[in-house]
Amino acid sequence: MSDREPAQSEPATASGSALSVPVLAIRNIAKRFGATQALEDVSLQLFPGEVHALLGENGAGKSTLIKIITGVYQPDRGEMQIDGKSVVIGSAAEAQRLGVAAIYQEPLLFPDLDVAENIFVSHQDRGEVMRWGKLHRDAEAILAELGVAIDVRSAARGLTLAAQQSVEIAKAISLKVRVLIMDEPTASLSAHEVAQLFRLVRDLRAKGVAILFVSHRMEEVFEIADKVTVFRDGRLISTRKRADATTRGAIADMVGREMGLLEPRPTTTRGEMLLSVEGLGREGKFRDVSFDLHRGEVLGFAGLIGAGRTDIGLALFGIEPATSGTIMLNGKPVVVKTPRQGMDLKIAYVSEDRRQFGLSMPQSISSNITLPILRRYLNRFGLIRGPQERATAEMFRKRLAIRTATVDLAVSKLSGGNQQKVMLSKWLNTKPDVLILDEPTRGVDVGAKAEVHAMIGELAAEGIGIILISSDLPEVLTMSDRVLVMREGRQMAIFDRADASQEAVMTAAMGQSLSQAIGGVVA
Amino acid sequence: MIWLQRYVRPEQVRELILLLLIVVAVIFFGALIENYYTERTFNRIASSVTVIAIMAVGQTLVVLTRNIDLSVGSIAGCTAYFVGTLLANNNDLHPLMAVLIAVGLGAGLGAINGVLVAFAGVPSIIVTLGTLAIFRGLLVDLSGAKTVTTDSLPLWLVDLPRLNFVTLGEFDIRALFIIAVAMVVIFQLATSYLKIGRQFYAVGSNPDAAILIGLPVRRVIFIAFVLSGALAGLAGFVTLARFGNITVEAARGMELAVVAAVVVGGVNIFGGSGTVVGALLGAVLIGILEQSLFRLQISEFWRDAVLGLLILLAVASDAVILQRLRALWARGELRHIAAPTPETDPGGHRT
Repeated sequence: MSDREPAQSEPATASGSALSVPVLAIRNIAKRFGATQALEDVSLQLFPGEVHALLGENGAGKSTLIKIITGVYQPDRGEMQIDGKSVVIGSAAEAQRLGVAAIYQEPLLFPDLDVAENIFVSHQDRGEVMRWGKLHRDAEAILAELGVAIDVRSAARGLTLAAQQSVEIAKAISLKVRVLIMDEPTASLSAHEVAQLFRLVRDLRAKGVAILFVSHRMEEVFEIADKVTVFRDGRLISTRKRADATTRGAIADMVGREMGLLEPRPTTTRGEMLLSVEGLGREGKFRDVSFDLHRGEVLGFAGLIGAGRTDIGLALFGIEPATSGTIMLNGKPVVVKTPRQGMDLKIAYVSEDRRQFGLSMPQSISSNITLPILRRYLNRFGLIRGPQERATAEMFRKRLAIRTATVDLAVSKLSGGNQQKVMLSKWLNTKPDVLILDEPTRGVDVGAKAEVHAMIGELAAEGIGIILISSDLPEVLTMSDRVLVMREGRQMAIFDRADASQEAVMTAAMGQSLSQAIGGVVA
Repeated sequence: MIWLQRYVRPEQVRELILLLLIVVAVIFFGALIENYYTERTFNRIASSVTVIAIMAVGQTLVVLTRNIDLSVGSIAGCTAYFVGTLLANNNDLHPLMAVLIAVGLGAGLGAINGVLVAFAGVPSIIVTLGTLAIFRGLLVDLSGAKTVTTDSLPLWLVDLPRLNFVTLGEFDIRALFIIAVAMVVIFQLATSYLKIGRQFYAVGSNPDAAILIGLPVRRVIFIAFVLSGALAGLAGFVTLARFGNITVEAARGMELAVVAAVVVGGVNIFGGSGTVVGALLGAVLIGILEQSLFRLQISEFWRDAVLGLLILLAVASDAVILQRLRALWARGELRHIAAPTPETDPGGHRT
């Protein structure tokens, strides 16, 4: 069952109109990097006025395909056609001329240029001399068409991520885009911003743009897509109309096996009281936060981005210490002002930002894992005992199933999911009592996500108290014994698992009436 | 405050502050030095500013692309020496030809930097640190450490520094100074209104994005280095005219004053923001400091130390001040926008 025949449905537009010629047709594309076959015999067709979702685990070949379509990479074999005519897309500029544009998870704007200039910066047809008045008027017209209120004269620096993505979309429209690729555009957006983005996507679709939509969020894919294509290991596994596709089926195609993703974690017996927080606060971030954490318990932190959940984690670990309130650990009051104190108290915080705060990308897996407690790996001359370091790394490699040939490999070479496992190993190696996990599965593929979830369950069963900060509501609800909900720096509620429905949690997180909350949330 | 925020951008506030600093410096040194407000002082400062400003224009282009050109002093020295030697041996060479040769030689040396940075991918600080030493070394070797002397040069060149462009009351505006002003005006307009000019900003502001949206990043960086070299060549010609006696030490260490002018002038050392006019203001402040400290008989080494201090202060304050100003402006803008639009975003803030 793991290797079914590709279930490629016949090309047909979502609207069923006469537009039967695909804007973009990819035929038998293959691409190889060294020993890795990134893409093998991939054929895909995009039709005007269609949102085509691309699903697949990290490393399945989605990014490579995007880079080939946008002219960043050249395929080893196969051909591309636009409007039925064979084309070679040799560069990003050429892709733009052909009406192919891409929007990435992190918007690619120029922070020092103003909004209007950002929209038109890559235009080849506006002459050698800038006409600022016309530029600003044209930009205003495009943004007005999108229904977005952004001052075209303000610098791109300082715009919210959602506003930056609106500018990216304006940029694509101004290029008369016919094929728009969106690579995880919602990964850093709040639910409200996602709703706004989807409104823009639907407008574009109505205008006949073909959209290739890449996302890890299954709910979003099924909300917006007309067709769903699944990639695995560089191959196209299936393409289905949305009506024929199911979440379960898509996940099965992605991982090559049936998976029960959303089964609740079995509860473990609640042990003695571990951590007790009373009236905790930090100026300008959060205030009056009180909760208990027992051994073997998973306490979920739910809320919108910016609600103060991460700030509580940072305060407990001493990175940005609390300015008010008390923390009791094992019944004794403690003060945590630095991460060193946090570690000595057996608290660990696994950051949401792997690149910036989590890992040293160019260093090896083993050096990353031993870094927080490196002094335990020193011999009496103060030199690192390599074999011992490697043994620790090997132990975690087996325990967490980190997929790598050797623990000497640089972390930057690993996929997102495996990087996350290295980061988890690093903090587990400090043998914490309290483990704070901040967005542990963001940007991680479905398989690795399930493994991280299983790991959380095991750790809780071993008696560790876990605080799980996550914007993935199903994840919080299935993993946690109790759920604490934050909104704008304030603690709104703590639910027991039995009472924690999606509606109840989101209502508290949005601070709105129930009906509004459901309308505004993609979950 | 609101009216100020509407008409002035945070980056321009810096230039206003700099203008204020220049006025303060003139008043301060005027009180300290006798007979400061004279034509002589003005001309000394102006001729010092001329050389720094011409090179600072080129340096601005390079710094905008998130690079740096440390070799400008050596390029200026080379052109001053070689054009000087050429004119000493050939007094009939047309003045325009001499200028063109200086600019061409500078551009050629700049192109070497440009190729290594843009096409070979070597960091600019390494490339230009290397060429700083190499160009100077070649100069010493090829010249045999001989000196170009004033009496061997054609008369027009010897008289050039005192050639007036226009006389305003007591003050004579020299033709060489006008060359510098012309360069500033030309490149200010080019960086504001030409596509290639805006691409300098784009490349430095977000290099990754510039590549992904298909801007000709390598070409832009290459052009920046060629122009920086060409302008350093022009500055070398001005140096030759100004001093007449040219040794292999000519324009040595000028990169310090030039980089100082650029960063003091508000050009972000990490690229993407700043203006040519700002760099001119920086050059003016540094010219005033150099000449005034010289008049106060403060040693060359202390003058360099002051430049070093200025660079550090400018870069440090750049980060802090601009961040504060931008935050202030952003708050002002929020008030503007929040009023007319009924739909404000509840979840828009990030942690």
